[in-house]
Amino acid sequence: MAQKNRFEIRDITRIAVFAAIIAVLGIPAAIPAFGGAVPITAQTLGVMLAGAVLGSWRGAAAVAVFEVLVFIGLPLLSGGRGGAGVFAGPTGGYLIGWILGAFVIGAIVRGNIRKPSWWRIALGSFVGGVLVVYAIGIPVLSLVTKLPLGQAALSNVVFLPGDIIKVIVTTLITLALYRAYPAAFGRKPAVTAKASVSAR
Amino acid sequence: MTSASEISFDGVSVDFGDRPALSDVSVTLTERRIGVIGSNGSGKSTFARMLNALVLPTTGQVRVHGLDPAGQAKQLRRRVGFIFSNPDAQIVMPTVAEDVAFSLRGRGLSRTEVAERVAATLEAYGLTAHSAAPAHGLSGGQKQLLALSTVLIGEPDLVVADEPTAMLDAANTRRIGNHLLDELTQQLVLVTHDLNLARRCDVVLRFEEGRLVERGEPDFVVDRYEREHA
Amino acid sequence: MIALYREGTSPLHRAPAGAKVLVFMIVALAITLSAENPFTVPVAAALAIIGYLAAGLGLGTLLAQISVVRWVIVIMLVTQLIFLPPLAAATNTGRVLAVIVLAALITLTTRIPALLDATEHALGPLRRFGVDPARVGLLLGMTITTIPVIMGIATRIRDAQRARGVPVRPATFVVPLLILSLKHSDELADALAARGID
Repeated sequence: MAQKNRFEIRDITRIAVFAAIIAVLGIPAAIPAFGGAVPITAQTLGVMLAGAVLGSWRGAAAVAVFEVLVFIGLPLLSGGRGGAGVFAGPTGGYLIGWILGAFVIGAIVRGNIRKPSWWRIALGSFVGGVLVVYAIGIPVLSLVTKLPLGQAALSNVVFLPGDIIKVIVTTLITLALYRAYPAAFGRKPAVTAKASVSAR
Repeated sequence: MTSASEISFDGVSVDFGDRPALSDVSVTLTERRIGVIGSNGSGKSTFARMLNALVLPTTGQVRVHGLDPAGQAKQLRRRVGFIFSNPDAQIVMPTVAEDVAFSLRGRGLSRTEVAERVAATLEAYGLTAHSAAPAHGLSGGQKQLLALSTVLIGEPDLVVADEPTAMLDAANTRRIGNHLLDELTQQLVLVTHDLNLARRCDVVLRFEEGRLVERGEPDFVVDRYEREHA
Repeated sequence: MIALYREGTSPLHRAPAGAKVLVFMIVALAITLSAENPFTVPVAAALAIIGYLAAGLGLGTLLAQISVVRWVIVIMLVTQLIFLPPLAAATNTGRVLAVIVLAALITLTTRIPALLDATEHALGPLRRFGVDPARVGLLLGMTITTIPVIMGIATRIRDAQRARGVPVRPATFVVPLLILSLKHSDELADALAARGID
C-alpha cells in the first residue's frame, strides 16, 4: 500500500473503474451468458483481469478497493452479498487471496514487457488466480471451520474446473483486448503524459 | 487591460505522436465571451484543453491570465474552470452535494464553510432538492448544471466549456447556453458546434485542420463558416 | 444502488462507526478463540439476538440475514459432517453463523458515508508509510460513483449485441466492456486534472 501515494490521477481512475467492473461482473443480470443461476459468476474473472490488464500494484489496489466497499456494506459480492460478515465467514480467506492473487497475476503477466503473451497470461492467472487464492483461502477455511487442512483442501476441489475455465477465458479476453485496444496496457497515452509531468 | 484577463498563444504547435493537432497558432484574446468553432478534428478542442494545462504545447508559448501552463498547472487549474461535453465523465463523488464539495478539497476551508458554500451554489443552480441524491441519477441537463456548479464554486477567473451542449436536447442547450453567455461574469471560452451560441459571443475563432484560420466579429465568422459548409 | 443500511435511531445506530467495528473485531476474535468452550455458541447466539433487538431491527431481520448466507452455511455443514462428528460440525457452523450475523449488524446500523469516513480516519496512522487517507477516500467515493456508469455501459453493450443478433458471450461482452470502461477512466482522469486534483 505504500505505493499508493505514488499513483497518478490516471492510475487512480483506472483503479476505481476496474473496481467498479469487478462489482458489475458480480451482478448476474449484467451477463446473461453466465446464466445468472450459478453464484460462482464472473467476479473472479474480474479479479484475474484486473491483474492481467492493470499490472500488479494497480490490479491489487482495484481488488482491494472493491473489497473495502464490500466490507463497509455495499452488496457487491456475487449474489448481492456484502458487509463485514462475508470476511468473517469461511470464505473470507479467498477474498484476501484475491488481492494477493491479482498482484501475482500482474507480476507474471506484465513483468517488464508491454505486450502480454498467451502463456504468461495463462500461467499468471493460474498461479495468481488459482494457486495463490487457494493457498490463502484453504488455511483460513480450515481455521474458521476447524476442519483439518487436508479435508478443507479436498472440499475445495469442486471449484477447480470453474476456475480453470476462468483462466482460459481470462487469457482469451486479455489477448483480444490487446488487439482491440493496446492503449489499455500502456502506462499512459501521450497527451496527459505531458500534462501530468507538468502538474508536479 | 493588463495580463489579468488575457489569453495569449505565441507560435503554438502540438504534436500527438506523429499527427499535428495544432500548427503554429498565435493569438491574443481579452474579450469576455470567446466562441470557438470548427469541424471535428480541427484542433478547437486541443486549443481549449491547453487553457487548463490538459494539453501542453510541443513548441511555442501559452499564457493564460499571466500564468504559464507548462510550469504553473496547479495554480492555473485553480483559476480556470473546465466543463466537458460528457456530463457522466465529470462526476467524481457519489452524491450531488459531495461532488460539488469535492471542488473545494485542499483549499483549507472548514467543514461548515464548505457546507455553506455548497448549499449556496446548489441553490443558485436549482439543485437544492437533489442535494443528497445520487449524482448519476440526474437528467443530462441537470448533470451539466451540476458540472457548472462544481466549476463555479471554485470562483474561477476563466471558464472553458468544450462543447458543453453536445449531449443535450434543445431545451437544455438553451438553458446551459443562457447560463454561460448571460449569467457568468467571468471570462468564457466556449467551444461549440451550436452556431447560434457562437453568434452570441463577443469574438469567434475558427479552426481548420489544426490551424487558426479566422478570428473576428461573430456573425461575420459564423456566416462564412456556414456558407463554406452548406 | 441498494445499500444494506436500515434506518433507525437506536443506540447502535448512533454509536460511532469506528467503535462498532472495533468492538465487533474483539467479539469475533473471542468467539473464534474459545471454540472449544461449550458455552461459546449459546452465548454468541444470545449476543446476536440481543444486538438485533437493541438495534430495533427485530428477529425477522436476523432471520433474513441468516437466510442470505444459507448456502454458505449448508455447504459448510455438509462438508463438516463428512469429516467430523455431528456435534462438532453443528458447533463449528453455529459459531461461524453467529460471527456473520454480528458483522451484519454493523452494516445494518451504519450509513455508508460514516463507514467511509471511519475508513479514512483509520488509515491516518499509515500516513507515515506513504498512504494518503484523503486519496483512498477519493478512490472509494469515485468507485461508488462509477459502478452505475459501468452498469450502464454493460447494458448498452448487451442491447447493441442483441440488436445485431449476436449471441452474448463472455469474450464478446467483456472486451468491449473493458475498452469503453477504460476510455471512461481516461475521461475521468482529465476531469479530475481539470478540477485541480493531482
